[in-house]
Amino acid sequence: MLRAENLTKRYRQGSVTVTALEGFSYEFPPGPTAVVGPSGSGKTTLLNLLAGFDLPTEGAVELGGARLDRLGEDERAGVRLEQAGFVFQSWNLLPTLTALENVAFPLLLAGVRPAERRDRALALLDQVGLADRAHHRPNQLSGGEQQRVAIARALALEPAVLFADEPTGNLDSAAGHRVLDLLLEHAVGERRLVLVTHDLEIAARAERVLHLRDGRLVKIEEPAAV
Amino acid sequence: MVGRNLTARFTRSLFTWLGIAVATASMVLFLSFGEGLRQALVSEMGNFGPQIRVVAEGTDVFSPPQPELPPEMLEQIRAMAPELGIRKIIPSVMLVRGGFDPATSFFFHGLPEGADPRDFYPPAKAAAGRLDPHPDGAVVGAKKAELSKLTLGKPLRLSREVTVPVVGILEPASGLVDSLIFVPLKTLQQVLGTKNYGVFMILLDPDAKVEEVAQKLEAAIPGIDAQSTNEALKFAERSLRIGDLIRFGISLVALVVGGLLVANTVMMSVYERTREFGVMRAIGARRRFIFGLVLSEALFLALAGGLAGVLAGVLGSAAINAYTREAVGLALSAVTPRLALFSMAVALVLGLVAGLLPARGASRIPVTEALGRI
Repeated sequence: MLRAENLTKRYRQGSVTVTALEGFSYEFPPGPTAVVGPSGSGKTTLLNLLAGFDLPTEGAVELGGARLDRLGEDERAGVRLEQAGFVFQSWNLLPTLTALENVAFPLLLAGVRPAERRDRALALLDQVGLADRAHHRPNQLSGGEQQRVAIARALALEPAVLFADEPTGNLDSAAGHRVLDLLLEHAVGERRLVLVTHDLEIAARAERVLHLRDGRLVKIEEPAAV
Repeated sequence: MVGRNLTARFTRSLFTWLGIAVATASMVLFLSFGEGLRQALVSEMGNFGPQIRVVAEGTDVFSPPQPELPPEMLEQIRAMAPELGIRKIIPSVMLVRGGFDPATSFFFHGLPEGADPRDFYPPAKAAAGRLDPHPDGAVVGAKKAELSKLTLGKPLRLSREVTVPVVGILEPASGLVDSLIFVPLKTLQQVLGTKNYGVFMILLDPDAKVEEVAQKLEAAIPGIDAQSTNEALKFAERSLRIGDLIRFGISLVALVVGGLLVANTVMMSVYERTREFGVMRAIGARRRFIFGLVLSEALFLALAGGLAGVLAGVLGSAAINAYTREAVGLALSAVTPRLALFSMAVALVLGLVAGLLPARGASRIPVTEALGRI
């Protein structure tokens, strides 16, 4: 379950109050949902709030049965670990760890034993076609490969929700399509995928598209209409 | 992960490790003198014949006593001897000639007639010549004879007017006695221009109680310190502790510098890895995980530096001892297990203190800020 109700976020910038998001309410159904909008429309703020990176000024967020807006930082981290996986635009792999260790990292946080961590991480790398790159460091991998490692890491604890923020933004077209295919492939059953993008072509592959403008949800579309 | 993070910034980690190692090694070396002196003192006292040492009030264990005890005082003690169970009284004076370097210093010990080095160091044996310096000779400790190239018959000048020949050389004894020169008491008094004594060494009957005799002597004769071996050790221990504190204070400067190095390294590392910590927090790492990770890095550096420092201290101490054994026949530095453990503990506390602030900072970076998602 991923639900937002009347989500509002205001920042203070010097003496000015900026409203980054206002009154966003939506219950994300299973499957892929794209969030689109121009720069400054509130996409990143929305994802920050849905993932519990930040707290709303007003409103409520429910992820996996937990009210994130009522939890402290550590509790929200715990909910994220259990319920969510993340794929960022700039991959954000841990640079000192190998691909295998990066994928195993959430398993380490979850207290999975070393042997099992290794087996599960290897299987995940295999799923994203990178078993042969398991012992490479991020700086030895291409952008597309790093993003696939990030997807494997996001899937490590079989999360209920996958958050992807411009996951193809730094990739060439071929690598971007492969990453998108992988994400959509895993957004099946009860799993939700929240795909933040400014690229309408990518958004069109989601089952539904939320349009943000000036911090407000202005339109919800089915892909055929995009 | 700790190892990976440290090796990822290898040069910086290496220099920090070296900094802690040097700081710890300097502390180990400074404090090893106290430990070495303690051990040497216990060993010397164990070999020391007289049970009580009477000196003028205020004389400390480490300085040669000045000739401040008048002959009447000797008579007073002699009069009390049968009652107190005193077997033998050896009045003596001491004279130190020379400079800072023990190899060029001369420690003269005046012996009255009827006494020889065995009264002070029962195992003493003559390697050449005789043990008794009387009537007008000098018996030289093995190390002193070797360093100053003294052989039987060679003249030894005590002052402009007084020169005595070497009449005996002692066997090596691995102690202070190796560096002493025994000469007749009267000769040394003549050199010092006094009829007084610096110290009365007192040997007791087997059934006499040392502390009790010492107390009675002090009560009967004002202006003296009658120090039993135990008391002397206790007094020496007090002095050594003060010395330890001073040395620890000095080495603290190096330690603080070492601590600042760790703090700087860890802080720099935290600053550079802000995004990494953000990613970890985004994935689900709790604050205490980040805190533990950063603190472990500081502790690991401190532990590795501390171990290397103790090892370097042991090597340095061995080098010092090689020199002091050669110079004075004594090992003056010792890295005891308690010193090694203490130094390790100090290094770890250093790492802990230096790592706390960066660790706290790293664990409190907001995810959105760390990921640049504002």
